[in-house]
Amino acid sequence: MNGAPFRNPGWAGNTGEFELNEADVRGMDYAGERPLDGGHPAVSPSVPYLLTEKDPSAPLFEGPYRERFQKIRSRYPTTQAALLPVLNLAQELRGHISPRTMDEVAGLLGLSPAHVRGVVSFYTMYNKRPIGRFLIQVCTNISCNLCGAEEVLAAFLEHTHTELGETSADGNFTVVEAECLAACGFPTCVQINSRYFEDVKAKEVPDVLARLKGELDDGASRHL
Amino acid sequence: MAYPYRHEKEVRILSEGFGDPGARTLPGWRERGGYKGLARVLEIGRDKTIDEVKASGLRGRGGAGFPTGLKWSFMPKDARRPHYLLCNADESEPGTFKDREIIRWTPHQLIEGCLVGAYAIGAEHCYIYLRGEFFETTAILARAVEEAYEAGLAGRDILGSGADIDITLHVGAGAYICGEETGLMSSLEGRRGEPRVKPPFPAAAGAFGMPTTINNVETLAAVAHIARHGGEWYRQWGTKRSPGTKLFCVSGHVNKPGNYELPLGFPLMELIEDVCGGVRGGNALKAVIPGGSSVPIMSAGDCKTCTLDYEGLEACGSMLGCASVIVMDETADIVKQVWRMAHFYAHESCGQCTPCREGTAWATRILRRIEDGRGTEEDLDTLLQISDQMTGTTICVLSDSLAAPVISSIRKFRDDYLALIRRGERVGTA
Amino acid sequence: MPDNRQDAETVTLTIDGQEVTVPGGTSLLRAAESLGTLVPHYCYHPGLSAPAQCRICLVEVEGAPKLQPACVTMARDGQVVRTDSSEAVKMRKGVLEFYLVNHPLDCPICDMSGECKLQDYVFVEGRERGRGREPKRVFGRDDFGGDVLYYGDRCVMCTRCVRFMDEVARDSRLTVVERGSRAVIDTFFERGLEGASFAGNVVDICPVGALVSKDFLHKARAWDLDHTPSVCSSCSQGCNIEVHVRDNLVQRLKPRENQEVNGHWMCDYGRGNFEWLNRPDRLETPLARGKSKLRPAEWTEVLEDVFARLVKLQGRDVGVVGSAFWSNEGLGTLASLARSVGTVSYCVFRSPRADDEDPLPGFPRLIRRRDLAPNVEGAALLGFQRTGDDDGFGGLGDLAKHDGVLVVLGDELGDQGEDFGAEARLFVYLGTTDSPAARNAHFVLPVTTFAEQEGSFVNAQGRVQRFQTALRAPGVARPAWMILGALLAALRKEAPAPRRAEDAFSALAQDHPAFSGLSYADLGSAGVEMPSLAEMGTTGESP
Repeated sequence: MNGAPFRNPGWAGNTGEFELNEADVRGMDYAGERPLDGGHPAVSPSVPYLLTEKDPSAPLFEGPYRERFQKIRSRYPTTQAALLPVLNLAQELRGHISPRTMDEVAGLLGLSPAHVRGVVSFYTMYNKRPIGRFLIQVCTNISCNLCGAEEVLAAFLEHTHTELGETSADGNFTVVEAECLAACGFPTCVQINSRYFEDVKAKEVPDVLARLKGELDDGASRHL
Repeated sequence: MAYPYRHEKEVRILSEGFGDPGARTLPGWRERGGYKGLARVLEIGRDKTIDEVKASGLRGRGGAGFPTGLKWSFMPKDARRPHYLLCNADESEPGTFKDREIIRWTPHQLIEGCLVGAYAIGAEHCYIYLRGEFFETTAILARAVEEAYEAGLAGRDILGSGADIDITLHVGAGAYICGEETGLMSSLEGRRGEPRVKPPFPAAAGAFGMPTTINNVETLAAVAHIARHGGEWYRQWGTKRSPGTKLFCVSGHVNKPGNYELPLGFPLMELIEDVCGGVRGGNALKAVIPGGSSVPIMSAGDCKTCTLDYEGLEACGSMLGCASVIVMDETADIVKQVWRMAHFYAHESCGQCTPCREGTAWATRILRRIEDGRGTEEDLDTLLQISDQMTGTTICVLSDSLAAPVISSIRKFRDDYLALIRRGERVGTA
Repeated sequence: MPDNRQDAETVTLTIDGQEVTVPGGTSLLRAAESLGTLVPHYCYHPGLSAPAQCRICLVEVEGAPKLQPACVTMARDGQVVRTDSSEAVKMRKGVLEFYLVNHPLDCPICDMSGECKLQDYVFVEGRERGRGREPKRVFGRDDFGGDVLYYGDRCVMCTRCVRFMDEVARDSRLTVVERGSRAVIDTFFERGLEGASFAGNVVDICPVGALVSKDFLHKARAWDLDHTPSVCSSCSQGCNIEVHVRDNLVQRLKPRENQEVNGHWMCDYGRGNFEWLNRPDRLETPLARGKSKLRPAEWTEVLEDVFARLVKLQGRDVGVVGSAFWSNEGLGTLASLARSVGTVSYCVFRSPRADDEDPLPGFPRLIRRRDLAPNVEGAALLGFQRTGDDDGFGGLGDLAKHDGVLVVLGDELGDQGEDFGAEARLFVYLGTTDSPAARNAHFVLPVTTFAEQEGSFVNAQGRVQRFQTALRAPGVARPAWMILGALLAALRKEAPAPRRAEDAFSALAQDHPAFSGLSYADLGSAGVEMPSLAEMGTTGESP
């Protein structure tokens, strides 16, 4: 983004004692835009792409996604080991993992659909149903909780006019409670899609939401 | 450039590059002395590398504190079967936020450690298991891995040594239990992240049934420096049995929370009062969880003489764990926070072992009822007993991790519970 | 490497103060079992991998820092193990309490009640009262497809069923869904177990009432069932089974362990194919032809009549039709009798064949065979020629017009015309139900099914296996060997008639060398491979 010092909410412990911009903190200048085919096979399984618009009927997999799929397969001694990265890829495209997606992924990897269902249900990051454009995950675990995480969660629910786990009427926001996000020194930590917003206070929640809406209006389709 | 909250008492080995975007890039990391350790071990060979790490006395930073060099020496020497190094970057213990900082500020520090570790144990493939939530962290590490491949530091014949070491980033999908080493292996293999019974130990049959070593991010980051400077160098800090420096993740009610790198053996109160600028608002200290949510809670009194090393904390009735110091001041509502931790463990239990599957959920429901003011004094006895039934009876230690804060909080803060049970009075607001 | 040597040989250890020597590589659980000490367990099953997750088999091992799971801890020389130490007992009590936290305690309406491991263990070692005050989690009931119903609330999450489908059936249709206390067993949504031909085994291995058979649902209480060791009659594999009977009706079939034949398993086809044993329309009394009509008669009268006519017809041509559903004792006696009467021009059997066989991938020795009858191999050894098509029809040539002595055992002759046997001088029909084929018989003799008698079959591996009497015979029906044996003894004027199946079996050797040297005592409960066949290396399909 631009080089101006970034104000809260944004990242850890911005106390004004130092000069770092958002790109520095998030490493955006360094990591850059990822190539569509995922880049080097060593990292293509993991490369985070978050498309703002998901297509629940997107094919598994075509074009650059096919290449990423094949790179994933090449990095493991068994096809089963590719399951989690391939599910990540499917969710990146489709936004959630439906029973049909499980079945298709099982077919692609030669696994039993029941096994895939068991795996999908084990991990919380696989969305079992469609979610909003922004998935807002508020950590309420101990360190954040001690510092007011419950108020932050309540503020997100209030300002998005949603219930926990439900998607707002405009399809923009789904607010959920998250377990520890590993940013305990900077409470409250909120993960919104790929980004961590740290040091979030309840009163700052409207600003965060305004910023997200602004991004939608700008038509930003991809966030690191 | 600065990183939030530094302190002159810190010994910044691993954290020197925190807040310094220049340390991220390969050229930047090399300017700061990076990859000299890798070059050195490729020269001295595998056995001497393991000897150096043994000499350093480095203990695993993931929580268990097992000596790293010794762990490496368990790996079979035959090269016929593939060997694997797994780097555990599934950081998710409540209170812990060090691995993410290491990776996003100094990704090459971890890559160098992984290459040294893989070389030492004869692994041709290193998988770095990152927790799924770490999108931007992963992107940064991904770029660094690409740089390493481009520079011939990873892949075929690294630095002309003849050794082949591949690195693959593997991203999880949201499960605390995948931070447990056998759970991580199950997850890597494309299964539910369920821990497995040991034996067989990973060194005999780990990932994909092959000899495997699993190390934490911070351990491997320290290895990069030990490889460069030697084992004896590392011992200049810390205590005899807990040598070296450690990242302390301080969170909760202190004025300056954050990561502080300090020699092991550092006094706990000095960390809170001096390094972290004291308890917030000048409030009185009430309790400290010194090693992440899985270790016993300490009362303010327990903290007075406590030193931050494996032995020092054990002597005070707790554990170093992954050195995640959660500080609670007088406003803390212990009962609520213990319930919140229990809720976490019940949510994250994989559900294999009965004591954990049923016990964590049951304890959480009892705590919730006490929280709601409908508890009885017998509930406390029940909690203590079922916590005892959950200790040492399962494949992994997840249920022990719930038992520890429950038991210690009831022992040390019984009055808080009783106030709620007898009079409906909540002690604390946070 | 002293440890390796131990592995190859034996180790001696002490369990609860008793010394025991077991082969190296034996688990503590099995070692204790060999002393008659039950270490409670759920997830462990001898036919599956051991994940050590139920945590109820924890025992104290001297020197170990904490209790060890007996199912995966291997016995070592000099080890001192206590299954009854206060620590182990306390822990089991604790684990049992956890099992009951969410268990619905619906034993009065649970099919497993009476043979439930949770019930058993809690009865012996559980707490007298539960401490749970919280409401119980409710999952309800789920139809898994096929014959299987799942009651999630009763489930102890031992995952035996999942592992059976993964490891033995190699058809991973079951999985654990969700995690922690929300975990349940499930299929891939609506795609269940239908068509999985070995899925019924998951009901058997479920230690509690979580997986139950739809067919057996609420049919009988476990304690009302009589269990009789038997052999499955649905194909030539001869899976060892138990027949469970109440009120003289077969309620269900369960596999009985035999590592040489079926392991712990059986197929769903065999498991479900027992209603024919419960048919009410049975022949109950012998019938003898008067001037024109068949009329009921007494056994003595009938046997004397048959004997008299056989004596008169001695030396004539004899035609015999047997059945691969009948025991060696019955078929062998029939063959001997035919030879004693005259020239045997026909000695055949017909038997249905399936299009394919269906092996159990994780236990490949167990195959649902093409031959859908239990004693095809035995019939062949006893001199019966196979004839007819894969439906068990045709192939009888001009036997219908046979004008000598005609004896039919078991074959219902459903494909034969009205004139079958009309020209025979003597036509004896031995069967279980009234059959159109019997309309021309001079004598219709009621015989028992295999479940109503003792006897033996030879399976496709050439293994002779015994079965025992599970049901009372209807009316005065008798085993075929008894009827035919009486006639044979009278004809030969030598040995007394066989009084027990065992006698009939021993007598087989006389005319059938394949059976020489065998007695019931040799067969035991698991059967033996026929010595002569073993020498020849003959196994597998019948000719």
